[in-house]
Amino acid sequence: MSALRGRAFLGLVRAEARAFWRDRVSLFFTIVLPFLFIVVFGLVMGGGEGAVAVGYAGGAVAEGATLERALRETEGIVPTPFGDAASLKRAVEGKRVGFGVLWEGDRLGLLYEASRFQENFAFQELARGIVARFDLARQGASPAVALDEIPLGNPAAARSFNEMVPGILAFSLLTAGLFAVSGHLTSMKARRTLDRLLTTPMSPLGLLLAVAVVRLAVALSASLVVLVLSQVLFRFEPTLDLAKFLALVLAATLGMMGLGTGIALLVRRPQSAANVANIVSILMMFLSGVTIPVELLPPFLRAISRGLPLTYLAQGMRHATGIEEMSAGRFWAIVLGSLLVGLVTFPLLARYVVRPERR
Amino acid sequence: MRLVLSFALAQLRVTLRERETLFWFVLFPVVLFVLLVAIFGSLGREGTIHFEVGFLNRDQAAGEAGLGRRIEAILEDLAQPGADGKEPLLSLHRPAGTGDLDAFQAREEQAVRYGTHALLVVVPEGFSARVRDALSSRSTTDAVRIQVFRRAGSASSGFALSILRQVIAGVDQGVLASGGRFRAEDAVVVDTVFLGSARGAEVRYVDFLLPGLVLMAFFTAGLFGVPGALLFAREQRILRRYWVTPFSVSHFLAGFSVTHAVVCALQFTLLIVVGRFALGAEVSFASPEAALFLVLSCATFLAFGFFVASLTKTGAAGMALANAINLPMTFLSGLYYQLGPLPGPLRILLSVNPLSYLADGLRRVIGLEGATSPLWLCVLVPILWMAFSLLVAGRRLSWDVGR
Repeated sequence: MSALRGRAFLGLVRAEARAFWRDRVSLFFTIVLPFLFIVVFGLVMGGGEGAVAVGYAGGAVAEGATLERALRETEGIVPTPFGDAASLKRAVEGKRVGFGVLWEGDRLGLLYEASRFQENFAFQELARGIVARFDLARQGASPAVALDEIPLGNPAAARSFNEMVPGILAFSLLTAGLFAVSGHLTSMKARRTLDRLLTTPMSPLGLLLAVAVVRLAVALSASLVVLVLSQVLFRFEPTLDLAKFLALVLAATLGMMGLGTGIALLVRRPQSAANVANIVSILMMFLSGVTIPVELLPPFLRAISRGLPLTYLAQGMRHATGIEEMSAGRFWAIVLGSLLVGLVTFPLLARYVVRPERR
Repeated sequence: MRLVLSFALAQLRVTLRERETLFWFVLFPVVLFVLLVAIFGSLGREGTIHFEVGFLNRDQAAGEAGLGRRIEAILEDLAQPGADGKEPLLSLHRPAGTGDLDAFQAREEQAVRYGTHALLVVVPEGFSARVRDALSSRSTTDAVRIQVFRRAGSASSGFALSILRQVIAGVDQGVLASGGRFRAEDAVVVDTVFLGSARGAEVRYVDFLLPGLVLMAFFTAGLFGVPGALLFAREQRILRRYWVTPFSVSHFLAGFSVTHAVVCALQFTLLIVVGRFALGAEVSFASPEAALFLVLSCATFLAFGFFVASLTKTGAAGMALANAINLPMTFLSGLYYQLGPLPGPLRILLSVNPLSYLADGLRRVIGLEGATSPLWLCVLVPILWMAFSLLVAGRRLSWDVGR
């Protein structure tokens, strides 16, 4: 009897795997999208964070030479000389340099490109440091007080691509779990496949477990492929803690399937469920520190971010891949929290989602 | 003509009745607009960023209230909420009373390491005395150093550090001035100039984003709308039914184009209303050149939609292809933010992406500078794409199942 059940379950798993493979939209969101993210962000950020090129002109006169020295002594920039003000302005406008510093004999011009709003605030901070250094140098003084910067944590985190990869991995776990229930089960309902399956001896829990097994396998393989790809193509430098990584992948996928339950309970049509799942995942991607550091968000979005599961999954993944340090207690709280969401919502799924459609 | 218009009206009704269409083509651009403005509209501005900073004044602990205390006072000021009730820049964490300073430092270092605090600032013992000695020695000596612990790669550590650098630069100038080595009145006069802006100020993000989102909305309407409507209608044999009536493919195309134009007009109106009245956008599209670019965009993406539809056989495959194209094309076009220098393969993608030329051209004609391509190229590339798309679609697109 149990052998029969085992065989039936394996049959269900095989059928679910085939259905997943044929569902091109799910395939896209679970496997292709993270891959695309890695390629796009890898090409943009994979070369490592270079220092900011700062153009300057007016270096021919005596104080211009002082400016040149002040620029050379400033960390994190590459001073780039220009023959005259016009060529410097063209370089700033053409975004060939981050910003420009122009010595006009009696005043210092700081030139920024007006539409670089995502960088100008950082350039302005750098420029303030340059002005302070130049001010002292002009009067023949050198700083009496300075900062001794001591970096803590994994130096690999200094490269923002290394920070982003675990975030994308966490995002792929979110979509794998979220779309599993919201998209797949509602679609089975709409096509009446679920009604037919429920007339067989198959238990709702068995079906759910088959869906979960397939999604877990997919999430795990997709994560490993993304990890290897990031390492091979873009020099991602993880220090993988395999046990923690596996625990997080398992718990997160189950937990996110639980989150998908909520969507499946709210909406009935598969397309609407996919839309809600899409908007939830896109909002989370922007607000969970995957693409933009949470600390840079305005206060009300930071508060929202604290309530989003992806924020914690991304942190947990950064820890499991050795990019960020975290207390063991916090990491296991994230894993257990996700697992708990999954375990609590599975009976709910079985009771309210995996049931015949009422007519 | 009546046939075309009645088909367009029917198609529009179908489109507007579909929740998915309403969601993706109408609601989603608005949601994204609000979200992006909320995130990037005030990026890095005071009142929107906040850091947790540990401060340990060992100088004061040694009984030398002085420079360490001065730095602490400035940081205390920064930790006060703004007069308008805005969040303070910092929350300052200091040891309670005369507790164990080493234990406090260890705790704070861990908080920085774990990312719960952005920085730990440690003013060393004997700091004030060493600065005084350095100033009185009359020679140019190495600066006396304050330790700052930051987290590698953390954006908040980086920002907090740049603020601290300004604080220290101010203290430093004060110290040097008191020692007669710096004259504040002779400090250099600084002019800040924003190039490429008619107003001489930074372009507001909401103004930059609005044309980008209008184009994104038009693009998704073409990219998803055309293959979605056409391929599923073909699969479900709806198209076949048209062809047994006097309704021809050219009638269908004309009616479909009218529907697409109305959807684009609806998207445009909604985004303008939200941008102007809810988000404070000030750019104006009321010029013939802007109207021309909007029409060109609408037509280019309609043709592009037919091109994508011609590459696949089923609706599901069409949607998957559209999804795969959507992300790289919209991310690599400067619709949402200015693109910096890109590596080789992405530069090639950028140089053939019609979205980037349309965005560049539209922004230029509505008075937002920062365009990188000449205007004629911003018109030519989309026209070439339109011609290529129509050519491929004309050759490959099948109007019936199995034909």
